[in-house]
Amino acid sequence: MLSGNIPVLDVRGEICPYPMMRTNKELDENLPGTLALDVLTDHPPALSTIPPQAMKRGYEVEIEEAGSGQWRIRLTKAAS
Amino acid sequence: MATEIIAEAPGSGAGNLLIPKSRQTFAGMIAIVLTAIVAILIAREDETVAAIWVVGSMFGFTLQRSRFCFASAFRDLFLFGSGRNMKGILVGMAVATLGFAAIMRWLVPNPDFGGLPGEAHVLPVGLSVVVAGLMFGFGMVIAGGCVSGSLYRMAEGYVASWVAIAGVIIGLGVMTHTWNWWWTNIISHEPKIWFPSTGGMGYAGGVVLTMAGLGLVYLAVTWWETKNGIFSPHISRHVAPAMTFSERVREVIDPVFKRGWPIVVGGAVIGFLGVLLYLIHMPLGVTGELMRASIEGMGWIGLDAPIMEGLSTLGGCTGRAGESGLLTHTFAITVGLLPGALIAALLAGEFRVRLPARKIRYGQSLAGGVLMGYASGLALGCTVGAFFSAVPSLSLSGWVFGAALAGGAFAGTYVIKRIP
Repeated sequence: MLSGNIPVLDVRGEICPYPMMRTNKELDENLPGTLALDVLTDHPPALSTIPPQAMKRGYEVEIEEAGSGQWRIRLTKAAS
Repeated sequence: MATEIIAEAPGSGAGNLLIPKSRQTFAGMIAIVLTAIVAILIAREDETVAAIWVVGSMFGFTLQRSRFCFASAFRDLFLFGSGRNMKGILVGMAVATLGFAAIMRWLVPNPDFGGLPGEAHVLPVGLSVVVAGLMFGFGMVIAGGCVSGSLYRMAEGYVASWVAIAGVIIGLGVMTHTWNWWWTNIISHEPKIWFPSTGGMGYAGGVVLTMAGLGLVYLAVTWWETKNGIFSPHISRHVAPAMTFSERVREVIDPVFKRGWPIVVGGAVIGFLGVLLYLIHMPLGVTGELMRASIEGMGWIGLDAPIMEGLSTLGGCTGRAGESGLLTHTFAITVGLLPGALIAALLAGEFRVRLPARKIRYGQSLAGGVLMGYASGLALGCTVGAFFSAVPSLSLSGWVFGAALAGGAFAGTYVIKRIP
């Protein structure tokens, strides 16, 4: 399990398609090649839009509830 | 589902919580009881309205559970090539088409005599539908949800959706003041094209044409997904078999109340509810009540809506806005949707008061809402009434509205990509 400083992208308060668009932007432009990213969202549809986009970029996805009506999507990638 | 929720982390991020999770389940159960009590009270006045209230709640529940979203159905095709939501809509319309055809054939056994089945959403085809579809499609993408989508998100605690619905009511109000121009110059010259009475097609031809059309669009959407490299990742679930009684009960309860439904299941259920509602009285639609709210509201501020010529002859959602009293059929479906969506959100632990992170979203919701309101007045319905209920009514108008929605959504997608 990863520990330490996993960068966090907080997209709470955003609705579709912004959670996915901002996650993609984070992965592609702001933190290209990052090995891990935690995305915080309170928009349930994002739980099915973000994972396929992250998987396309080679990330593994784990979702856990982070309180009522909000989730943490943890994206991780093995160092290549 | 693409992924699964693997753990619950208690206590973290509790800053904005309104109600803790376990209390949400409890509140959801209370909401079910209250909704049922309201249904019983309504039934003492009018059983038809009570039945529509119950279908409305089930509609809201299904919308929330399956995350049914017309805005994303169109937008995601252009934004990243995904047809997930569109496929759900197509399946729903196919289910509804079979049921509607049976009901309409019962109402009008011989379509060649020139009569249209009462209440079917066979709406005028022409410039009005094209303009309305473009406006609506653009508006729903800007606002991040169509009218039905914003309604069920209102109940889930999305504050921006309240703004969007306020915008819809304003847009409908503006529409009432321009309606007579549209009616005199455009709509009164537009034909209603109903497949069963067109070219000797009959019901068989109309159903075959509609189902073939839906199948072709489904194939085209699949081709589009392939071209864009979209896939649904399958994650195998390693779940221990249910052994105890409570595990066996949860095995049934959880997929319905806790986990999201596959979109195709949601579509099929909504198609079925549409058929049920048509059996009770009318096809699904949500803008009629918002139109009533708009007319009422304008009365309060002295901007009384003019007499809208021809409207009552046209049918569709807004044509029903003339019903008076509180317990109308439009009230039962539109307002009934809200407790259903609230119950679904509470039981799944997804209720939360959500304020937009960026102020510009309020502007997007309001502007998109106004556009959707104006357009749904012009088209006599929204994505539900003028599209999802019109295609199964074997009406050409549903297809034209759908194509125009796609055009508007394309333009809207271009714009939101440029709003950070």
